[in-house]
Amino acid sequence: MDAYFFPIIVTGAFAGIGIGLLGVFIVGMRMPFIGSCISHTAMVGAVYATLFNINPTLGALVLSMLGSAGVAFIPNNRKNLDANTGQAILLAFMMGLVFLAVGLEQDSRSEMLSLLWGNVLFAGWGTALTTGSLTVALMVFSLLFNKELKAILFSRSLAEATSMYTHLVYFLFLCFCGLILAVNLKAVGGLLIFSLLVCPAAAAYQICHGHKAVVLTSMLFGLLSTVIGFLMSYYLNLPTGACTVLVSTLIFAFTSFSRFVLNMND
Amino acid sequence: MKNCVALSDILIKRGSHTILQIDQLTIHAGEFVGLLGPNGAGKTTFLKLCCGLIKPNRGNVRFQNQCISRIAPGRIAHFRKHIGYIPQQAEYHAHLPFTLREVVAMGRNALKPLFHALDKTDYEIVDSWIDKMGLADRGRQTFRSLSGGQQQKALIARAMVAEPQFLLLDEPGANLDPNWKKQLRETLDRLFNDCRITALLISHELDLIPSACQRLILLDQGRIVQDGPKAQVINSDFARQLFGRTITTPEKP
Repeated sequence: MDAYFFPIIVTGAFAGIGIGLLGVFIVGMRMPFIGSCISHTAMVGAVYATLFNINPTLGALVLSMLGSAGVAFIPNNRKNLDANTGQAILLAFMMGLVFLAVGLEQDSRSEMLSLLWGNVLFAGWGTALTTGSLTVALMVFSLLFNKELKAILFSRSLAEATSMYTHLVYFLFLCFCGLILAVNLKAVGGLLIFSLLVCPAAAAYQICHGHKAVVLTSMLFGLLSTVIGFLMSYYLNLPTGACTVLVSTLIFAFTSFSRFVLNMND
Repeated sequence: MKNCVALSDILIKRGSHTILQIDQLTIHAGEFVGLLGPNGAGKTTFLKLCCGLIKPNRGNVRFQNQCISRIAPGRIAHFRKHIGYIPQQAEYHAHLPFTLREVVAMGRNALKPLFHALDKTDYEIVDSWIDKMGLADRGRQTFRSLSGGQQQKALIARAMVAEPQFLLLDEPGANLDPNWKKQLRETLDRLFNDCRITALLISHELDLIPSACQRLILLDQGRIVQDGPKAQVINSDFARQLFGRTITTPEKP
């Protein structure tokens, strides 16, 4: 393999680990639309930045951080509107904005489409360093706030009832979501990053026993999804995002099948 | 007798609909109070009000003589760490593969500042409560693999490891079979007799009220319709109307 592809693989590995770790909380809280909302908000930022000749990653970062802050303030227990429904409406709105921008743009439509489907060929050592730094920062964050994050995962309302830091930790976590999804948008693609967020963690939840095992396994599955997906994309000349997501889905199918065949119990 | 929680002139409205209206109510330290009422009576609202999770439109809630209904959200958390809360099943994610020990250990979080992990002493307390709940052989098992009754006991242990001064139980026996309901009542009786903790249990079933609970409050359409000794309340006309049958207390264990 050409040395040109090493930073691409390293970027993919860090992206997989980071998104795999995020997924543990997104899937565990049964709110996959949170991840989807934030990733699509990042995509809106990126496509409109492209439309106005601004750096798309900058646009994605600004919008995804705003989106994260917005999601953090959606109440946990509204009776007249389920949180998932609210986020699904927000998601539909974001999708509308994305495709409106794609429709308006004539000159750099291919660049916009690469934001939807993902293209890893841009990644150099700078991108690898940024992705790696963010992933390490997320890991440090999840270690520092391990007990608070576990409590939020088990029950956000119970955590709020008994601890004074729940809102702060939840808000910081969503900010990390925004940052990581925005930075990884170009590699995996806005439409598919959601699957990478869900599949590795869902696979880990199938077969693991205890929170630590879930976290480590989900990070491993995320890493395998991106690295194998990127290699497939390179050798078979296929879209990167599609390959990554297909691998992560296959991992989920494999763990579900294993659980069924081996009759795994807790 | 020292007050634990005192409510005065409380009004909670949603739109034009009154959810809860209470003139005066005091729960004394060391009392075990049962709050009964049909679905939609305002029981959970009452419970959330007591632990400062919701603010009333009017009136005051005082916890240990400090007003918690009119203080900043940041400061209210300081009081919440003294309150043990056992939620309804819909409020927690029982499907996650947390071990029983992990779930119980989460209760100690309230006593730990940020960036401080639980230490050996914390885990000794966690293990002792798991033991007291009769779940010592299941500590490594996942919470999701436990039966409904065992999960309830685990949640009681989770609340108790935080050494609370006020325990709130929100429909703890919902969906349990009669045998587990009996076990849960016995557990709560033992807990109260051993720890003399102030407790408020809400339920829409009389079968779940333990014998340690000597005071009953009946709530209907957001208002207190009866408040007094258990024997007196369950024989009241209000109780018969609300529950639509002749009421018998559960047998003593």
